[in-house]
Amino acid sequence: MKKSEICVIISIVIFIFSLAYITSLGGLGYLPPVDVRKLAQIYLASTYNPYQPTNTSSGYESVTAIIWDFRGLDTFFETAVFYGAIIASVAIYRGVEISSKKKSIGMSPIAKTVTRLSLILIPIVAASIAFHGHLTPGGGFQAGSVATVVIVLSIMVFGLRRLVQKGVTKPKILLLRSLGLIGIGLTAIGLVLAGLVIGVNAYIFQNQAKAMAEISYPMWIDDVLFGGSLLFFNIFEFVAVMAGFTLVLMLFSIEEEEVKKVIK
Amino acid sequence: MIEIFTLAFLMLISVTSVIAAFKAIIEKDMVRAIVYSAIQSAMYALIFYVLMAPDIVLVYIPVSVGITPAILLFVTKKTERRDGD
Repeated sequence: MKKSEICVIISIVIFIFSLAYITSLGGLGYLPPVDVRKLAQIYLASTYNPYQPTNTSSGYESVTAIIWDFRGLDTFFETAVFYGAIIASVAIYRGVEISSKKKSIGMSPIAKTVTRLSLILIPIVAASIAFHGHLTPGGGFQAGSVATVVIVLSIMVFGLRRLVQKGVTKPKILLLRSLGLIGIGLTAIGLVLAGLVIGVNAYIFQNQAKAMAEISYPMWIDDVLFGGSLLFFNIFEFVAVMAGFTLVLMLFSIEEEEVKKVIK
Repeated sequence: MIEIFTLAFLMLISVTSVIAAFKAIIEKDMVRAIVYSAIQSAMYALIFYVLMAPDIVLVYIPVSVGITPAILLFVTKKTERRDGD
């Protein structure tokens, strides 16, 4: 590194630390209190509260409870926006076919063998993050992005054509993506539909029974904490995010010549 | 005592992340710049872990070290590897 570069780095570091010091002293405005605030206390008290069945979210994990129960509608629209972005990329790449006839080249046998091991291990980690999303840190989006790493690895190590030959094609991934979103929507209105059938009042994005709507997703199955709608939301979000990222990565890794034949 | 160690560790990784970000900006070779950017993101993930945000760590590592560099590498392959002056 040159002397001038070192000087620039040192001045950036001094600037950041002095800014942080001024902020911590309250020089840039009012500092929020350090102790647990009122809103956080409400969230913590109602995330898992078996003594008040009408005021609980049925999972141990507050973050998942906030994302999919307290503010479920917000996350639903985030997922919908993500879905729209994926649809836009698919629309740009319309008509581009991934030819599976040519042989895929890929990397060396050493890289392929190591990747074959990770192809089993990474999906297991992703599934555990998704299925334990209401018990331990994690959730649908986290699990989906972990699972996408498998696709990145296989596209880079084995090649895209090999992936297509194995049956991971664009229509199938698009179907999986839509199934994920439909699943999230159905889970959101599931209790309303069930309430219509049996003649009980229910709200959308309802998880546990409320005062005027005495119908709920299962909180415990046997002695396993099931998490009500949180588990369903996590699983469907896992599928949706994984399929969405996979689709974009597959479209991005098509050869330039193939794309230029269609898009001029 | 533990607090001093935590603060020192935070300071070390944040300085490392600043250096990595600076190298990523001035680097002319795109592939090396992407690697520097991934190092910076890994440091951020460590900071999130120390600040007790495991949910963010779980999504930050695959997105910033796995997916973003992969997309940027695909884009680099389609354009030019070296930055022109």
